Order: sequence, then structure tokens, then C-alpha cells
Amino acid sequence: MTAVAVKYQELKGLGVEVLAVSTDSRFSHKIWQEEELSKMVPGGVPFPMLSDQAGTIGTVYGVYDAAAGVDIRGRFIIDPDGVIQAMEVLTPPVGRNVSELIRQVKAFQHVRATGEATPSGWQPGKPTLKPGPELAGKVWKEWKPEYAFS
Amino acid sequence: MVARVGQAAPDFEASAFLDGVFKNVKLSDFKGQWVVLCFYPGDFTFV
Repeated sequence: MTAVAVKYQELKGLGVEVLAVSTDSRFSHKIWQEEELSKMVPGGVPFPMLSDQAGTIGTVYGVYDAAAGVDIRGRFIIDPDGVIQAMEVLTPPVGRNVSELIRQVKAFQHVRATGEATPSGWQPGKPTLKPGPELAGKVWKEWKPEYAFS
Repeated sequence: MVARVGQAAPDFEASAFLDGVFKNVKLSDFKGQWVVLCFYPGDFTFV
């Protein structure tokens, strides 16, 4: 959560709002913020922390573990039309990669603005692909797998 | 309704904590902007 908080200004700059959700009570969120998060990030976590005590939100999003009574690590990117563009779900011991989250937001925003497609490992400024019949069978001319890692 | 990519995000409303106060947050209030929705297993764990 604090890793997302550190990048919050960059996300805000991209027009992104963050909503954090767990099955804890809002009172627990308050104590966590005051006792720990505010010591890790100046001012604490700057986005709303939602309480999903019955797991109803997590159930609908497919991330509620009823046996443990917790929402597992699910991350969803929702566009301005309210459509889910990406989801990533991890079991609890492995944390997220916030840099990858930001890369995906930029890619989805680029796609939305241009209608282009962003190949594997795309970053702003790197080549995109223009989907269409003339591209079929010709991707090898436009894009090389090494581009995903350079 | 179940969450799937390419489909409308199921709406919800929940009690939330922000800036020292409790308030209700509704997903559909954020229509028109990008939203990152992050579930995590519990307070006092890392994310």
C-alpha cells in the first residue's frame, strides 16, 4: 500500500484515482494509517481505504477468500467508461509491482487515445502496432521480440 | 455480476477512511476518470 502511496502523485498526474479495499473495519484502517503508514509515507496513504467486512465486494471481483475471511491481492485498472481493462491477482506473500501498474495505465491510455496496440514490454516512446489487415503476417517487419526488453 | 476484463466494473459502495474522516465511497462516483482498485489481505500487512 505504501509503495502505491509513494507513486500516488504520478498516478494523479495520469488522472488515476486509487481505491484500496480490505475486509478490515474502517477503524482498523484509521489505526493502521496513524500508527504505521504515516511513519512509512509522509502524510500517510493519500487515497481512500475501503472496508469490505462481509467480503461482498471481493466476492464480486473474484478475490474473496471465504476460508481466510480476506480479500487477496487483486488489482484492477478501470477506464473512464467504467470498463475493467486489466486485472492481476496474487496470493498474499508476493507484493505488487507498482512500476508495472503505471506502465499498464500508460499503455491503456495510449491505446484509448490512438487506437494503436502496444506490444510486449511497451513503454511510452517505443514502437506501437497499427492493427489492420495489412499488418497480418507482417509483424516481424515492424517489431522484434528484443524490443520488449530494451 | 462477476468482474471480467472488457466488461463493466461491478459497482459498489463502502465505508472508507481518508484524511482522518470516515466517508462513503461509491465506484460509480469516479466515472470519467481512471481508477486503480487494489484489494489487499489486511491492515498491518505489506502490499
